Amino acid sequence: MSHPRRVALQPGHVLHQRPYRDSSLLVEAFTPDFGRVGLVARGARGPRSRMRGLLQPFRPLLLSWAGGGDLATLVGVEADGPMRVLAGVGLLSGFYVNELLVRLTARHDPHPALYHAYVAVLAGLQDSGREEPALRIFEKRLLQELGYGLLLDREATSGRAIEPERLYRYRPELGPVPADEGAAQYPAIHGRNLLALAHERPDFDAEGLREAKGLMRNAIARQLGDRPLKSRDLFQGAPQRRSGARGSGGDA
Amino acid sequence: MPHLPVVQRLIEALRCLPGVGPKSAQRMAYHLLERDRDGARRLARALDEAGERVRRCRLCRSLSEDELCEVCANARRDRSLLCVVETPADTQAIEQATGYRGLYFVLMGRLSPLDGIGPEELGLDRLGARLAEGEVRELILATNFTAEGEATAQYISTVAREHSVRVTRIAQGVPVGGELEYVDQDTLSHAFRGRRDL
Repeated sequence: MSHPRRVALQPGHVLHQRPYRDSSLLVEAFTPDFGRVGLVARGARGPRSRMRGLLQPFRPLLLSWAGGGDLATLVGVEADGPMRVLAGVGLLSGFYVNELLVRLTARHDPHPALYHAYVAVLAGLQDSGREEPALRIFEKRLLQELGYGLLLDREATSGRAIEPERLYRYRPELGPVPADEGAAQYPAIHGRNLLALAHERPDFDAEGLREAKGLMRNAIARQLGDRPLKSRDLFQGAPQRRSGARGSGGDA
Repeated sequence: MPHLPVVQRLIEALRCLPGVGPKSAQRMAYHLLERDRDGARRLARALDEAGERVRRCRLCRSLSEDELCEVCANARRDRSLLCVVETPADTQAIEQATGYRGLYFVLMGRLSPLDGIGPEELGLDRLGARLAEGEVRELILATNFTAEGEATAQYISTVAREHSVRVTRIAQGVPVGGELEYVDQDTLSHAFRGRRDL
C-alpha cells in the first residue's frame, strides 16, 4: 500500500511519543484522513526544540509530514486552537482512550468517524464527573468503526425490540438475550441502558454506569486478546482489586 | 584488514553508549589503543568500580554508593518534606537551583501505560508505604510538565490523600526574563490559569 509523499496541515492528535535515536521523538499520531501514523520528529528532544511542547497527547494539532514509508518525517507542527485541559480522572481516562486506539487500530487505516468520536470523547473528559458516559459512547463507536458494532436495540435471537424495564444478558458476538433465558455468565444489562447506548443518550444512573461498563469491558476485552490494558492500572482502587475481571477478558 | 578479535570486542562494547554507532565506536577504540593507554586503563577501572559499587538508595531509589544516599542519610535535612521527581538529574537541578532541605523520592521514570510502565514499575507501592509511616507532612510533586508527568502527579496525589498527607505541585509559568509576546501559548495559558493574588 502506498502512502502520499507529502501531507500538509492535517488535523491530528498525538497518541503517544517515545525517544528515538539521540535527540528525536517517535510520535504515534491519530488523524482523520490517514488514521494512525508513525512520525519521526527530528531533533525534537533538543533543549531548544519548539516542537516538543506541542507534541503532547490531547492537544489539537495541525501536522505536516513527508515520506511514504511506514515511518514518515514530521516536517511541521502547529497548535490547532487552545490546549485542552484534562485533569484527574479525565486525564487518566485520556491515556486509556489513547491506549485503545494504539492497540486496536492499524497504521494508515483511515477512520474519519472514529477521529470525530475521539475529539468528542476528549471534550467529554474535560467535563469532570461526566467522564464515564463519554467513555462508553466512545467505546461503542470504536467497536462500530472496527467492524464489531454491538447490537443494542433488538434481541439477538428473536429480533424483538428491547424493552426498557427488562433485564438482558449480553452474549458476545450475538447480542442481548432476555436474562431469564439463561446465559448467566454474560454481562447483565437493563433494556433502558442498552437503548441509551444505542441512541447515545447516556444519562445513566449508578446502576446504568456499572452495567454499561461491564458490557463494554467484556466486548473490548474480546478485541484485545490476552494482553490487558496497562492504563487500567492507573485507576486507583479499580486496578489491583479488579484483576479477576480482567482475567475473565482473557477467555474471550 | 579486519579488526583483531579483542579490538572488535572493544568496539562492540563501546556501542552500548547512547549515540555511539559502529564508526564512532571504532574511532574511540583506536584512540584509546594508539594514543591513550593510560586513559583506557583509568576508564576501565572507573567503569568496573562504578559498576560494582553504585546501587539504588533504599529510601529514595536514587543512585548511591551506600545503602542510603548522601541526601537521605543527612540528619540535618527535613524529613517531613518529600519531593517526587522523575530522574536523579531532576534531583540535581532542584539541589542546585533551590534551597530545598527536604528529602527526595526518585521515580526513575513516569507513568506511561503505552510503554508498559504502571504504578508498580515506578515503585509507588514503596512510596505509599513511606507515606504510611507518618513522617512525611508534605509531598511536593516535581514531575515534568508533560501529559505523562501530569498523570503521574495525579496518580500520586490520590495515593497521598489516602494517607492524609498534604500534596503540592510545583508551579508552572512564564520563565524568568520571558516576554509574554514570545512565550508559547500553552505555557502562557497555564500561567494565566495559575495566577495568584498579590
